[in-house]
Amino acid sequence: MSKFDIDEALIRKLAKLLKETGLTEIEFETDDARIRVNAGGTGPAVVAATVLAAPAAAGSAAPAEGPAAGSVSSPMVGTAYLSPEPNAAAFVKVGDRVAKGQTVLIIEAMKVMNPIPAPHAGTVTEILVQDGQPVEFGEPLMVVA
Amino acid sequence: MFEKILIANRGEIALRIHRACREMGIRTVAVHSVADADAMHVRLADESVCIGPAPSRDSYLNMPAIISAATITGADAIHPGIGFLSENARFASMVEEHGFTFIGPAPDHLSLMGDKVQAKDAAVRFGIPVVPGSTGEVKDEADARAWGVKIGYPVLIKAAAGGGGKGMRVANDESELSQAWSMARSEAMKSFGNDAVYMEKYLSHPRHIEIQILADNHGNVVHLGERDCSLQRRHQKLVEEAPSPALNGEQRARIGEVATGAMRKMGYRSVGTIEFLFQDGEFYFIEMNTRLQVEHPVSEMITGIDLVREQIRVASGAPLAMVQSDIAFNGHAIECRINAENPETFAPSPGRVTEYHAPGGLGVRVDSALYGGYRVPPHYDSLIAKLIVHGRSRNECMMRLRRALEEMVINGIHTSIPVHRRIMNAPDFLNGDYDIRWLEKFVAGDQD
Repeated sequence: MSKFDIDEALIRKLAKLLKETGLTEIEFETDDARIRVNAGGTGPAVVAATVLAAPAAAGSAAPAEGPAAGSVSSPMVGTAYLSPEPNAAAFVKVGDRVAKGQTVLIIEAMKVMNPIPAPHAGTVTEILVQDGQPVEFGEPLMVVA
Repeated sequence: MFEKILIANRGEIALRIHRACREMGIRTVAVHSVADADAMHVRLADESVCIGPAPSRDSYLNMPAIISAATITGADAIHPGIGFLSENARFASMVEEHGFTFIGPAPDHLSLMGDKVQAKDAAVRFGIPVVPGSTGEVKDEADARAWGVKIGYPVLIKAAAGGGGKGMRVANDESELSQAWSMARSEAMKSFGNDAVYMEKYLSHPRHIEIQILADNHGNVVHLGERDCSLQRRHQKLVEEAPSPALNGEQRARIGEVATGAMRKMGYRSVGTIEFLFQDGEFYFIEMNTRLQVEHPVSEMITGIDLVREQIRVASGAPLAMVQSDIAFNGHAIECRINAENPETFAPSPGRVTEYHAPGGLGVRVDSALYGGYRVPPHYDSLIAKLIVHGRSRNECMMRLRRALEEMVINGIHTSIPVHRRIMNAPDFLNGDYDIRWLEKFVAGDQD
């Protein structure tokens, strides 16, 4: 493995973010290096690798916890939009009550706008994507508790 | 040259494409199903996009998902790999309509060669020898008798709506025709609800010989020699080698010229393979695969040419960097397809690979996406590794392959490695003395 200068400040920052957000893992990459900080077991563990290194060995990152109950996952690949048109009001915001089947966001795929319905009635507790963010199949979009 | 290529495939071929891209400084996007989130090429690729749940229909065959993934990642080109959408003309057109380059032949050629009847007609038009047969359906026994004389016995009476070896009867000479005729028709009716039949010359001991073609967008075509893929079980290739032990230099040059001439006339571009049955010194066209093939490494080993790299180069518009006389054939190469299956029953054997150790040494190449701890998913085909060995002669190659098979370890699941070890010790294989029916008999225990 090639020499890699440990950026202590960055690691502390990532570890702090982990603790504060309750995430289990953060991976950060630039052209020169990639760093992954993992909150396995008792405390954050740091696995740093340059982009030259082989992929992580088996048993590395603990997989992120399954989507929170009430998660709305993306049914397709595309671009997520939080409002029906640019400059229009968002479909929902955190705290809104929604009915089952109510459109909570749209995903655009191949120029077609696909409305994404709330799978059940509830309250929007988290919006996990930004307007215009590319999303993949299965990606958690929102939490409706 | 492309800056970013989306790899619309999985398994060892996706890894193969990723490797060629990285060696050219091209960034890669790996699209994958939920079941392949931990695949090696997904971990190595610059970007990855999950495109759907495990079933192929919802992921690797999901055209909108793949095109959306190319859009959101800003890819320039899509490499379709092998199988899945690689020969789907509609997909190729869609890719191009959306402004991406489809790394493969033109959609028209995908359609043409995808229809087996049209393909045979095209072969005739372009000067490729075909299996002599009836022109279309044979309507009655008198007609069949006339065709029998014209084609020459033995003949095969085949269901027009058929497949899978059903609804086919051989008549070795005219005295057998009547019975073969009625049996073929009733079997066809029973199996496919349609008793329409046609006739072809029956080849009793052919070898499967295929020619690797490479063409650019400027009309330049070369061939990389032949591969002998006669070792098949239920029409699935298990071992391939190049050069074929059955061809001499004159035959190789002749069929190579026929193939490249046809491709030039056709205006073909990208890689492709023309498949023949070869018997008694004659070649008979069966079909053309308008894509990269699983066994392409065999040709790479004897020519030193990286076929995926060349495929990407020509797709970007570059002219071929070589002419036919630049292509030299060195030594001998054999590939063993290692499948996750029971070596006796051939039942699929997905599951967790507990230990993986690839063989190494001079002239040994393993194309595989396996790693210790990897789970082979149950949803896709069973190919998990290709062991390709090169030697300066066929003997040296076989000794090396036997040695490499001794070292190879894949624990936790069943694999076809034991079958390959047996093949490598079979006198017929050592003598290069086999045809397309040999392997079936071998695994059934009739030969050793």
